[in-house]
This record gives sequence, C-alpha cells and structure tokens, in this order.
Amino acid sequence: MPDGVIAGFLAPHAPHFLYGENPPQNEARSRGGWEVIRWAYEAARADLERLRPDVLVVHSPHWITPVGHHVLAVPHLRGKSVDPIFPNLFRYHYDITVDAQLAEAIVEEAGAHGLLARAMRNPAFRVDYGTIVTLHMLRPDWDLPVVGLSSHSWPYWDGPTPDEEIREVDVLGKATRAAIERLGRRAVVLASNSLSHRHFSEEPDPPDDMSQEHHYNDLGYRWDVRMIELLRAGRTREVFELMPEFTREALPETKSGSVTWMFSAMDYPEVPGKLYGYGAAIGTGNAVMGFDLTDSIVAGR
Amino acid sequence: MPAVSAFLVPGSPLPLLRGDEPPYRPLRRALDEVAGRLADSRPDVLLVYSTRWIAVLDALWQTRPRLDGVHVDEVWHDLGDLPHDLRVDTDLAHACVAATNAMGLRAKGVDFEAFPVDTGAVVANALLNAGERPIPLVIAANNIYHDGPTTERLGALALSQAEHQGKRAAALAIGGLSTEFHRAEIDLSDDHISDPAKDELNRRLFDLLAGGDTDAIRAFLPEFSDRARGDQHMKHLWWLLGASGGVQGATLQAYGPDYGSGAAVMEFTTVSEQAVETPRPGATAVAPGANRGAPVWQAAMRPGRRRAAARSWSRPSP
Repeated sequence: MPDGVIAGFLAPHAPHFLYGENPPQNEARSRGGWEVIRWAYEAARADLERLRPDVLVVHSPHWITPVGHHVLAVPHLRGKSVDPIFPNLFRYHYDITVDAQLAEAIVEEAGAHGLLARAMRNPAFRVDYGTIVTLHMLRPDWDLPVVGLSSHSWPYWDGPTPDEEIREVDVLGKATRAAIERLGRRAVVLASNSLSHRHFSEEPDPPDDMSQEHHYNDLGYRWDVRMIELLRAGRTREVFELMPEFTREALPETKSGSVTWMFSAMDYPEVPGKLYGYGAAIGTGNAVMGFDLTDSIVAGR
Repeated sequence: MPAVSAFLVPGSPLPLLRGDEPPYRPLRRALDEVAGRLADSRPDVLLVYSTRWIAVLDALWQTRPRLDGVHVDEVWHDLGDLPHDLRVDTDLAHACVAATNAMGLRAKGVDFEAFPVDTGAVVANALLNAGERPIPLVIAANNIYHDGPTTERLGALALSQAEHQGKRAAALAIGGLSTEFHRAEIDLSDDHISDPAKDELNRRLFDLLAGGDTDAIRAFLPEFSDRARGDQHMKHLWWLLGASGGVQGATLQAYGPDYGSGAAVMEFTTVSEQAVETPRPGATAVAPGANRGAPVWQAAMRPGRRRAAARSWSRPSP
C-alpha cells in the first residue's frame, strides 16, 4: 500500500447533517433530515475504510485565524463544542486523538515554506464544529488519529478571497504534503467546505422541517453543478481557472481555502472525483466527493 | 434617555494577555481608565455588541443568566486561558428578543450551557466589568446578513427597552478598526499598524467620531469598511450609534496595533437628554441626528500637530 497523501474528500460540515444523525455525542435531538447528504456520507465512509489511512487531516473554515495558519497539536482533546452559530443543533461532546507528531511537522514545513504557522498546544482549546462535523460524518467511530488545520481566510467576506490568501493555502497544502511524506503517513485530506454558501437568514421552525430546505438561489445551484461536473471529469485545472469567477458569483465557502489546500496537498491531480451526493443545508450547496489517488500513486511508481 | 456612557474597545485579547508589551500598554492603560469611567456612570445594564459573535440565522440575544467557563482564543491560544463569568440581564434580553420580533426581524434567545462566548466579550468584561458588583449585560450577536442601519436599529431597540424597564444603560461596542494583520511572524514588542494607508483611514475615522456628526459618520463607515477592510463592516459602531441614543463627540483614549490591524479605545459623549425624543415603550427609536457640538477629541491632536503632553493620543509603538 502506498503512503503519502492517498486520497481527498470534499466533506461539508453543516451541523445539520450531524444533527440529523442523532449520535450519542450530540445533545440536540432531531427527527432526522438531510438524508441525501447523510446517505452520501455512508457511502464515503465505506470507501474511506477501504483506503485504510493512518491519519485524517482536515482544514476547517470555522476555526478562523486571521493571524497565521494553526494546527491542532494536543495529543488528546476532550470537551464540549457548542456551535456559536447553531447552538440549538450542535452541542457535541468530543474525544479526539491527534497525530501531534504530524501536526508539529506540518507547522515546521509551513514555516519552512515561508508561512506564519503555529501549533495549538493548549488542552483547554475548544475544537470548532467544522472540524468535528466533517470528521464525525466520515468516521463516526473516531478510531483514527486526526490533524486539524485552521482557516486563515474569512469565509463570509463579501468580496473574492484576496490572491495572497489563495497563494498561502496553496503553499500550506504543499507543506502539508511534505510533512506527510517526511513521516511516511498514509493520509487522507479533507476539505470541510460547502460549495455555494448563501444562507437563509431565518431558521425554519422546527429546524428539521425538510419542506423548507432548498437551494438559496438558482445561480448558486447551477454554479455548483458546473463545478461538480468538472470535478467528476477530473478537469482539475479548469476548476481552479474558474475558481475566482465561482467565488464572485456563488459566494462559495471555498473562499476559506479548504478546497485549494486539499488539492494542493494532493498536487492537483486530474483524477475523476466520485460524487456521493449533493444537497442543500439552509440554502447552501453541499457535495460529498472523493478523490482516490492510490491507483495514480502506484502507476507513478 | 440616552445611554449614561458609551465606549468603543478592541476585541483583541492582546491588551489583556500581553498588556505589558510596549505596543499594547496605552490600550491597556486606557481600558483600565475606561473601566473607572464606566463604573462612575452607574449603569444598571451594559448593552454589548461584539463583532466576534457571528450569527447567520436570526437576530440572537444572550438569555443565559450566567456565562462562565474558560475560553481560549482561536489565534492567541499560546498566551493563556481566558476565564470568564458574565452576568446577563435576562429580563431585558428577553424584552429585546420580543421587541426584535415585533419590529419584523426574526429573533431568538440563546441559553445554552458551555456556549462559547467570543473573545471580545470575554476580554471586555474582564477589563471593564470585573468589580465585586458586575454590571449585568445584554449581548447581541453580529448577524453577518444584517447591515449597519439594521444593527443601529437593534442598538436603539435595546436602549429603548432598557428605558422602558427604568434602567440606566451604557453602550459598549467591541471590535477593531482596519483589519490587515501581519502575514509574517513579528515580535509582539514590535507590533505596529501594518499599512500606513489604513493607519490614515483609522485616523480619519477618529476625526469623524470626534466631530459627532452622525450623518457624516454613517456616510463614511461603508467607505471605511471597503478601503480599510473595516472589522465586520464596522457594525459595532453602528450598534453604538443606536445603543447610545446618539453621540455628539468622542475622546480617543488610545490607538494602537492588534498584530498589524487597528485597535482603539474611545469614550463617546452621548447627546444631551433634552435632545432625545423619548421613544414610546416598545418602539424602536433610531438615534437622533447630529449634534454638532465641539468635539472632545480635537483635530489639533492629529499627528504632526499633536500637543506633546496630550494624554489621549497613543502611538502604535514607542
């Protein structure tokens, strides 16, 4: 089995998905909902299991760090994470094992690549819901060590993400890959991102009333489909050529950098993405997709 | 009745956690002074808006009576924990929820154990409200889809509800100015505003706030937000315009860096009580227009024309 970055998943983090699952770790209870995305995650979990990774590395838009790129580096993190945006849906008791050695290596490599990067070594730190939801939905047993990276960019900024921030997450992806390869880990990288990201501004009552769920607007939906089609065809270069226009028009969460980071960590492979499912959460567009690099790694060797 | 006092303070934890570093000493000293000014104004409630409590759905108001725990900042986690114990005026907060819904904006109370109070509210409470008899708070979230005028209306609503309950209110805006952080590692002792152009914009904003021309302030805030990448569209200042009942000037107590971004401590002079049209109970009064009285912070204190002994001006670094 090859090591290095063996796969990536586009794994959106709306707390609604986890809320719909009703896991014992979450205090909030639902009647279900968002099944299309939750079924997509079920299929993605099976593929993740087949990949047999050593570690999951996730980049989250909801650990927002305007100063530098930060990496969870406490070997064991335990606590309760209440989502400041959706506290009624997400009050999750987490117990996370971190690959602290890899985390420190990513910080070192990021520094060596010229980035301002810091290891987060404070055990009282609250892990954000973007990190937790993505990891839980892909690996609800939490039996793999993880590494969490912060987002240097503000996901809700009105304008396009500044070029220098896109360049930074590209470099961060390269640094992540270098650290993974240096330590010989079999790593799966996860972009905790929705696509189009315009929210409703009022919450349905009850929140799991699926008759109220739909895409916020047609423009966002059509942009999402266009990008998904390109990703399914493995036309990665075109995806990133379109990214600035996509960012301007669909206000996607990709502006937080997670997708760019993931593809950079995978070295922008032109491999067909596998679409597990696509659906809306409070108006945003969410695709669960996988990019398996194992065949191309073996062929490359 | 206007607010009995009104202040702008930064949401950064650096003045609290590293207040001994030269760039943050003026901010810390000013915050300590403002704590006394706040107490002297004898408010029954502090109307708080922090840019760092982000919401996307509905207008959220804290309704949990006590918010205690240990917070760790998302960026400055290596500088220490932030224990906190905030008391909320739940009667007033519930009244604000009801009044917000009544004005046609969906609102909810937030009452959850272990809710992550944002760094700005934690730090401001620790520095300004840590006495034996803390002032109860009303805290509104920053809904990113609310614009400045909507936020001003929410501030005014909170003030009018406080008056309806017979409470003396103080207004507190927690947030930054320009937001261009350093991209490379610097020693905190060398912190400075990262971009001279944004520094100038910050100072232009101080001039306007000092002048107390609220129409001019409202007109400039969008431009400032665009050009200086103002913190969260500067909605904390829109809140202050509403929650204060109107301002007629401001004193700049300190100005300094927050890892390259701008941070300031300002005390506002609220309009005189006679100038305020008393709102009807439950009404959502908008702050009255400009009172062009003499500004407290004078243009003569601008860089290059500053009096050597001016207490209220602090340079970003020595």
